Amino acid sequence: MYGINHENAQIIFCDLNSAFAMAEQQAHPSLRGRPIGITNRLSRHCCVIAASYEAKALGIKVGTRLDEALALCPDFVMLESDPPKYHHMYKQLARIMKSYSPNIKMKSIDEGIIDFHGTTEIVNNRPLEEIGFEIKQRMKQEVGSWMKVNIGIAPNRFLAKQAASWHKPDGLDRIDHRNLIDYYKSIELTDLTGIASHYEARLNAAGIFTPMDFLEASSDTLRRIVFRSVVGDDWYQRLRGYEVDDVKTKLGNVGRQWVLKKPSADDNFILPCFQYLCETTGKKLRYQGVDTRGILVWAHFRTGESWYVRRMFKTTFFTDADIYARALYLFNQRPKHMVIQSMGITCYQLTPSARNQISLLDEVNKDEWLTTAVDEINEQYGTFKIFSANALLGTQIVKQKIPFGGTKYFELLLKQA
Amino acid sequence: MDPTIEIKQRVDVVVVYKKHGDLASLCMPYKMRFRGQEIEFVELGLRHQTVAGKRMIHVFDMSDGVNDYRLEFDAETLTWTLVAMIEGNYVRD
Repeated sequence: MYGINHENAQIIFCDLNSAFAMAEQQAHPSLRGRPIGITNRLSRHCCVIAASYEAKALGIKVGTRLDEALALCPDFVMLESDPPKYHHMYKQLARIMKSYSPNIKMKSIDEGIIDFHGTTEIVNNRPLEEIGFEIKQRMKQEVGSWMKVNIGIAPNRFLAKQAASWHKPDGLDRIDHRNLIDYYKSIELTDLTGIASHYEARLNAAGIFTPMDFLEASSDTLRRIVFRSVVGDDWYQRLRGYEVDDVKTKLGNVGRQWVLKKPSADDNFILPCFQYLCETTGKKLRYQGVDTRGILVWAHFRTGESWYVRRMFKTTFFTDADIYARALYLFNQRPKHMVIQSMGITCYQLTPSARNQISLLDEVNKDEWLTTAVDEINEQYGTFKIFSANALLGTQIVKQKIPFGGTKYFELLLKQA
Repeated sequence: MDPTIEIKQRVDVVVVYKKHGDLASLCMPYKMRFRGQEIEFVELGLRHQTVAGKRMIHVFDMSDGVNDYRLEFDAETLTWTLVAMIEGNYVRD
């Protein structure tokens, strides 16, 4: 009736919920079963970036400040993040997943997809539920007894993720044409991955208040009225179990941003930190093997106002010195009397690196060789062993965050750890 | 707050290498001497690797049943360091 996909479920979604907190509890038996949280840098005003299930049960969640958490639970324990530990978890999960299918995709540091299309008959002639239980068991045996994985099985990535979120923690669920309607009847609109308050408002404006309303809406309504683009068509397919999310994303931009712990308008404080942001952006660019032509710099002020400026340059560049010189030229155009709350730099118009091409100009070659030499030394002895003297203060103040959204810079981050 | 106590001291460690077993526990510290006391480990919390430049560091999070210990083995200098510990009695029942 709804045109639901009747294909056999061939996607497994693995999700290490509360991954960082779980990793710490695995490492520290004395913290198991206790409300704990992880933060990037411990301070009075720091906030939780990952909470254990025990903490979540007390109302402590991502974004809760330490003082709020302690008010809710005086025994609350907050630990500083330990990226190598989380990377280990990530690698173990990926290794186990890869043993079932060559077609796996890690969506972020704590979740990934196994696509069994084309492999079921040859490699794994078993029900996916059995494989799901085996993955759970192997995580406990090969990583640690405290490890819990939520497993979702479905015909497409979207429904598999929904299934993995159905019964947390340590759940295993299948969503397919047999139970899809019942599932949609049991949840709210915002329980759907990708539907937050903004999209919910759009759907409500079109008379869609439940997942069943969403399912019953025509593709025309979704495309023309709700989403006003092909995104509506994607949602129409996605809700029915058809695959629309198996797409490769292109690297569009590279950048770095930072929220100041103490908002400031003082150049002596801001500029070293800004230079450090430029140098980490340069490292990301070179790590990805790309050069850039465009730079955007921005700042949010304590007053709530924002400012940005962007510019395309005639030639590509990739050295820290080039990036900083151009970015600083733009950054100096900001209203200097304003107190900065957060700031950032983004490089865009990226092209594959041409840095193996020796220039006719000696100055250009010298800059490139210097950058290469510094990168090699930092590779050998740890990132930011050598850096611009002006960025010294920035290296001490700005701390690298853990990349939740993607894993493409994780190796780079680990060198800094 | 954070119950971690930073130690950063070289320690004597007795290690067991198994021929078979789970990947996570093929190699694990058995006991260590710290501040004149011999501490016997009863559980391996987690073993993972990290790097200091290109030097490989093996991190062992161990428990003696009460306290948790973070031990690091430097694969280049072949030294063991007790980096930090969490006292189990910090967390109240």
